[in-house]
Amino acid sequence: MFEIITYIGHRTITSLTELFEFLAFSKLVISRLLKRKTYNSATKMVLINQIYFTSLQILPLFLFISVIFGSLLVGIVFQAIKSFGLAEYLGKILMGFVVTELSPFITVVLITLRSSSAINTEIAVMKYNNEIRTLDAFQIDVVNYLFVPRVISGILSVVLLSALFSICALISGFLFLKVFFGMSIDVYAVDLLNSAVFSDLVIMFAKCITLGFFIALIPIRRGMTATEELTSIPISVLNGMVKVFIAIVMIEVLSLIIRFI
Amino acid sequence: MARVLEDLPHQYDHPLGWVSLDIPLISNLNVWVNIALIKQYHENLPVDQAAEMARHLLRRFQMEPIFYKRNSHLTEEERFCAMVLRAAMVPQGVLILDRPFEILSSHGDSRFLHQVLYTVNDLFTKCYIFDYTWQKNKYGLFDEA
Repeated sequence: MFEIITYIGHRTITSLTELFEFLAFSKLVISRLLKRKTYNSATKMVLINQIYFTSLQILPLFLFISVIFGSLLVGIVFQAIKSFGLAEYLGKILMGFVVTELSPFITVVLITLRSSSAINTEIAVMKYNNEIRTLDAFQIDVVNYLFVPRVISGILSVVLLSALFSICALISGFLFLKVFFGMSIDVYAVDLLNSAVFSDLVIMFAKCITLGFFIALIPIRRGMTATEELTSIPISVLNGMVKVFIAIVMIEVLSLIIRFI
Repeated sequence: MARVLEDLPHQYDHPLGWVSLDIPLISNLNVWVNIALIKQYHENLPVDQAAEMARHLLRRFQMEPIFYKRNSHLTEEERFCAMVLRAAMVPQGVLILDRPFEILSSHGDSRFLHQVLYTVNDLFTKCYIFDYTWQKNKYGLFDEA
């Protein structure tokens, strides 16, 4: 019994310590993110590269998925609600589900699978190879040079790709409806515009920023836990990806609670 | 030696130009970015000027072909030259060569080392070389009989 209580106490203290350390780290990164001094020729170059790797390289796959998802999903949803005689709710379902929920979720999952794991591995390998020490030796601040560009890239990527996903899904959905159900652009556009709620879009925007911030910051933080042992790299990536997944679920749940309060 | 190397950075208020296997080139950056990074970060040197400067410096060693190469694709001589050029970019030009023969492992003497330092002697003001005493023969130093 005593051992169980000790174990629970130890786990609680460890988890809380980790949480407070992570919050302090987040605060540090946010403060650097807002400082003009952070942005010099070197950090701007890293930022451009990161945006290229995170947002542009993924585009063909991303557009393909958004078109497939958009056309099939809109078609299936329309078919289903039409059979229940609720076709007039199409706009509300598309805006409330596809635009504000599905787009950020699929975007963040794709970026996490592709870029967060890469960031985690990259930082862990740099730590293992003493390259973080190289930056320290030349007084190059790792937060400014390595972390801030990756976090900005994460935020920009999630926000912009979510918007792109929504646009592609809605356009491909319209084409699907036009071909198979003969729907006109006027009816479709008016229905969508009437269903758009400003507060939902603001919540979606805030959610995308939060998701982008954490799917970059958590892998960075976990990557920095790698040691001089090679086996610490897969462990740090594994822990990082699990924590990113937990963060995504928590942010999704919180945004839903805020939306429906 | 380790103590001296640990204390040395505290004697200067600016970054030192380390050339050491413990301070490797950044593996996910090209050679030119490794060389130009310090100037880009500390002096905000624009990318095109930084690239031109790195190209010009590599030309001194006839090593322009390694401009876009990464650390893992370099020979030990190319790696050493890239590290010396990077080190020479620090503001006050103080070079610290920490066990250079760990980088130039196939070299039996210091001719190449001196040739490299001579080629960039306008880029640094001081140069300290730290190595084990059993390596002194490689520097042309011998015990008196």
